[in-house]
Amino acid sequence: MRPSPLLRTTTERLRLRDIRNTSTFRLTLLLGGVALIGVVMLTVLIYALSARELNARSDRILRIDAARLIAKPPRSLRDEVNLAMARNTSELTYYGLLDPKGQQIAGNLRGSSGFTPGHMREIPERQGHHGPIRLLAERLPTGETLLIGRDITPLVDLRWRVTIVLIASALVIGLLIVGTAIALSLAPLRRVGQLQRTAQEIAAGHLEQRMPILGRGDELDLLAGTVNTMVDEVGRVIGQVKSVTDAIAHDLRTPLTRMRSHLDRARRQEDVDPATAGRLDLVIADLDTVLERFTALLRISEIEAGSRRSGFAEVALDPLLASVFDLYQPLAEERGIRLASHALPDAVVFGDQSLLFEALSNLIDNAIKFVPQNGEVDLAVSRDERGVVVEVRDNGPGIAQDQRQSVLRRFDRGEASSQIPGSGLGLSVVVAIVHLHQFTLTLDDADPGLIVRILMPDHAERSIQP
Amino acid sequence: MARILVIEDDAATAQEIVTELGAHGHETVHADNGDTGLDEATREPFDLITLDRMLPGIDGLALVERLRERRIHLPVLMISALSDVDERIAGLRAGGDDYMTKPFASNEMAMRVEVLLRRQAQQPADEAILRVGGIEIDLIRRKVKVDGEPIRLLHMELRLLEFLARHAGDIVSRKIIFEKVWGYYFDPGANLINVHIARLRKKLDRPGKPSAIVTVKGEGYRLDAV
Repeated sequence: MRPSPLLRTTTERLRLRDIRNTSTFRLTLLLGGVALIGVVMLTVLIYALSARELNARSDRILRIDAARLIAKPPRSLRDEVNLAMARNTSELTYYGLLDPKGQQIAGNLRGSSGFTPGHMREIPERQGHHGPIRLLAERLPTGETLLIGRDITPLVDLRWRVTIVLIASALVIGLLIVGTAIALSLAPLRRVGQLQRTAQEIAAGHLEQRMPILGRGDELDLLAGTVNTMVDEVGRVIGQVKSVTDAIAHDLRTPLTRMRSHLDRARRQEDVDPATAGRLDLVIADLDTVLERFTALLRISEIEAGSRRSGFAEVALDPLLASVFDLYQPLAEERGIRLASHALPDAVVFGDQSLLFEALSNLIDNAIKFVPQNGEVDLAVSRDERGVVVEVRDNGPGIAQDQRQSVLRRFDRGEASSQIPGSGLGLSVVVAIVHLHQFTLTLDDADPGLIVRILMPDHAERSIQP
Repeated sequence: MARILVIEDDAATAQEIVTELGAHGHETVHADNGDTGLDEATREPFDLITLDRMLPGIDGLALVERLRERRIHLPVLMISALSDVDERIAGLRAGGDDYMTKPFASNEMAMRVEVLLRRQAQQPADEAILRVGGIEIDLIRRKVKVDGEPIRLLHMELRLLEFLARHAGDIVSRKIIFEKVWGYYFDPGANLINVHIARLRKKLDRPGKPSAIVTVKGEGYRLDAV
C-alpha cells in the first residue's frame, strides 16, 4: 500500500517512547520481572538451605568436640586443649580455655565479650584468625570457659559468590528481558503505525484506502478487517450522498438555466418598468449564484473522476506563476494588497497546466479575499529533497488549527469567512486538483496568516499514466 | 440579420436557441439530427451553424469534419453536454469555431453567435492595424494610440484590448473574455475581469469623451467607436 500523497505524516521513525508505551513491551517486562524475582528467590532459597545445612554440620562438629573435651577431667583440660590443637592439622578448628576472669589459659582463641555459654556465635575475620569463625562457648563447673571455633570461610565465600551470581544474573536477565520486550514490541508497533497512517489517510478523505491485513488472523487483522468493513460502508454512503448531490446539481442546472434565460429575455423587454427590472435583476443574480455553485460542484466531480489526466504534460512553473500573478495583480492592487511572486527558474512538474493554473488562481483569490487592506500575499516556488513546493502565504486572519482539515471539505468555510462572499467550494476544487496530481496540500500558520503549500513530489511526476 | 442553422436533437434546447436567436433578429432553420443537418448545410446558404456535439445519425464532430472537407467554412458554434476540456479541444480541432457546454445561458450563446458572425464579417485576423474610433492598435509593433497619442499597455491589457477591438460593437461576457484572452475555462469570478477592464478603461479614456468600453449591466462589456 502506497501512502497517500495528501497526508503529511509527522515522523516515520519509531521512538523509544513509543516502544515503551506498548502493551507488548509492558507485558514482557512484567512477565520477565516476575520470572526474575522467581529466579532470585529460588537462588536465595537454595543458598539459605545450603548455608543452614553447612552451619548445622559445623555446629554438630563443634558440639561433639566440646562434649568430648568437657568430659575430660578438669585438671587435664589444658593439656587436652593443647593436644586437640596439635591434632588439628587442617587448621579449620580453633580452641581456647579461659580462666574465670576471662584470661586465656590454653589454645589459640582469646577471650572476648558477648558470647553466651551454650550458644553459637559468628565472629568476623580478625587478627590472629585465618577467617571468620563460628564459635561455641561452654562454661565449665570450675568456672573456666571452653571456646571452640570453626573456620567458616567456605560458607562466607559461598555467600559472596551467590550474591555476585545473583546481581550478575539479575543484570543479564534484566537486559535480556528489556531486549526481548523491545524486539517483541517492534513488529506490532510498526503494524499499528501502518494502521494508524492508513486511518489518518482515511480520516483525511481517502476513502479508497484500506487497512493492511497480513492474514495471520491475529487481533490486529481482526481490527483491520472490521475497520475496512466500516470504511466500505462509509464510502458507500458518502458515494450515495455525493452522487445524489451531483445528480441534483446536474438535473437542476438545465431547468434553472432555462429559467434564467426566460427571466433574462423578460428583463430585456422594452416595456419592462424599472421596479420589475430591478426585481428581475435580483432574481437573475441569485440564480447565477446557485448556478455557479452547481457548476463548481460538478467541476469537482469531473476533476475527481480523473478524466483530465490525458491533459498531463510537463508544465514549467515559472511562466505559470507569472500568468497567475499577472491575472491577480490588478485585483490585489485595487484592494491595497501587495502581491509578490518568487519564481524558481527551471522548475518543471508533470501535470495539467490548466488545472494547476486554476488551483493557484483559487488560492490567490482566497488569499486576496481574506487579507485586509495593506496586507501581503506571497506566491513562491521552492525545491526541497521531496520535490517542488508551491507556497501561497498571506498575513490575513489564518485558519485555526482545528479547522484546517474541515475547510478542505465541500461547502465548509472557516469562521473568518462568514462575512466574505463565496461558495465554500474554492478550496475543494484545489483539493480535487491536488488529489488528481497526487500532490500534497498542507495548511500551516504563517503567524499571522495562512500558508498553503502544495508539494509536487518528484515521484508523482511520471507515475500518473494518461 | 443572419441565417443560422440550428442542429440540435433535444427539442427544448433547440426551442431555446431558436427563440433566443429570433429575439436577436436572426432567421433560424432547425434540424433535429446529423444527417438532416448536413443536408441542410450543404444545400442552403447559412451564415452560421449551432451544432450539438452528440446527435442521432452523424455525430457533431463528424458533421463538422464533413463540412470542412466540402470546403464549407461557415462558422460553427459547438454545443455539448460534455464539459471536459479534452472534448472542447476535440470539438475545436474537428473544425468548430467555438465551443460551449450545456446547460448554457441563452444570452451567452447569442453573444458567442454574434462574436462568430462579426469575426466572419470583419477584417481578416492577420490585419496589421486595428482601428476602433480613436483607438489604433498596431498588432505587429504591439503599440496602441488613442487619438494619435501613444499609450503604454501591459501584455495582457493589449491582448484584452485586441479581443475587444476585434469584436467592437458586440457585447462580450466576462466568461467569454476570460476564455478568449486568458485561454482558461473555469470561472474566475466577476470581480477579476471587472478590475482588468477598469484598468484598461482608465488608460483608454480621454477627458471630455465617453468611455470606449461600455459596461452592459448583467451581460458584459462592449467596445464602441468613440
